[in-house]
Amino acid sequence: MTEPQMPEGPFSGGCQCGAIRFHALALRDNPHVCYCRMCQKATGNLFAALVGVLHENLTWTRGKPAEFMSSDQAARGFCGNCGTSLYYRSIGGPHVSMSIGAFDEPEKIALWYQLGLEGKHPSLFHLNEIEEAGTTEAAMPEDAAVIRISNHQHPDHDTDAWTPRPGVLP
Amino acid sequence: MSPVLTGGCQCGRVRFAVDMQPFGVHVCHCRMCQKAVAGPFAVICPVLKTHFRITRGEMAYFHSSDIARRGYCRDCGTPLTFEYPHVEGLGVLVGAFDEPSRVAPEIQYGNESRVSWYGTLNALPGDRVTYADDPQMLHRISSSNHQHPDHDTEQWTPHPGGQPD
Repeated sequence: MTEPQMPEGPFSGGCQCGAIRFHALALRDNPHVCYCRMCQKATGNLFAALVGVLHENLTWTRGKPAEFMSSDQAARGFCGNCGTSLYYRSIGGPHVSMSIGAFDEPEKIALWYQLGLEGKHPSLFHLNEIEEAGTTEAAMPEDAAVIRISNHQHPDHDTDAWTPRPGVLP
Repeated sequence: MSPVLTGGCQCGRVRFAVDMQPFGVHVCHCRMCQKAVAGPFAVICPVLKTHFRITRGEMAYFHSSDIARRGYCRDCGTPLTFEYPHVEGLGVLVGAFDEPSRVAPEIQYGNESRVSWYGTLNALPGDRVTYADDPQMLHRISSSNHQHPDHDTEQWTPHPGGQPD
């Protein structure tokens, strides 16, 4: 398989609520998914989709992530206000493995390889066979309209001013 | 009655139980689910709120719009739930279950923001298990693993979350 070209930087991104924003000057040529059980738990999902950014190429432009040490070898960065999983960081490593979905344009960052196959969910072998219900607008037009006018997610671009909606405890 | 499914966050502060078989499990590609899990799509398991119990700790919530809120662990960040407070069901993030392989998606939603490379995921190279080429690193991780085990525990002291260096 021919490896796709890496997109050229700079890149921007952040968490769902907008309390954390970052810039990445360039990406390492390692966009991948990791199915390991620890990446599953960090994201609440079936895998993490990650791409490396050298420390010197990464700038936190708004706020700072919280971290959870998933082992003595690695930290997982997340937004303490909304929970978005932002990165995996191997202690002492040259780069931070940023979550691809946290970038403003995740579509541009195509995956190159898969890791952690011991944890691959059986359904992921049959992605193309899962029935399609179409777009959010088509499947649930009334809810989609309410969501659109009260969307608290930070837009997919940098903003000069943004007041994140506070996370709440019950 | 023992629960049908159990799960929780990475650090173990929040644990939950589900007392019904899952139904209508789905992939959601919408941009809001992408951001909540910071990945190309989320996999969500609907359950009735009457059949969902928090068995340890409590979730924090982010209101992603006026009609939806997303539960997560404030200590480790794991996304746990998606819900419309006014409806009788809520969605559990499938990766948070102790046995996610028991919960399989049947349908895809939010195709307006499905990444173009979704269908090629299985064609990607990769046949390695985690650190197959570095057993020493694997040992260093497994011997200091702070993730809660994939079953309920009587006693568990979550490893505290920290701030970056």
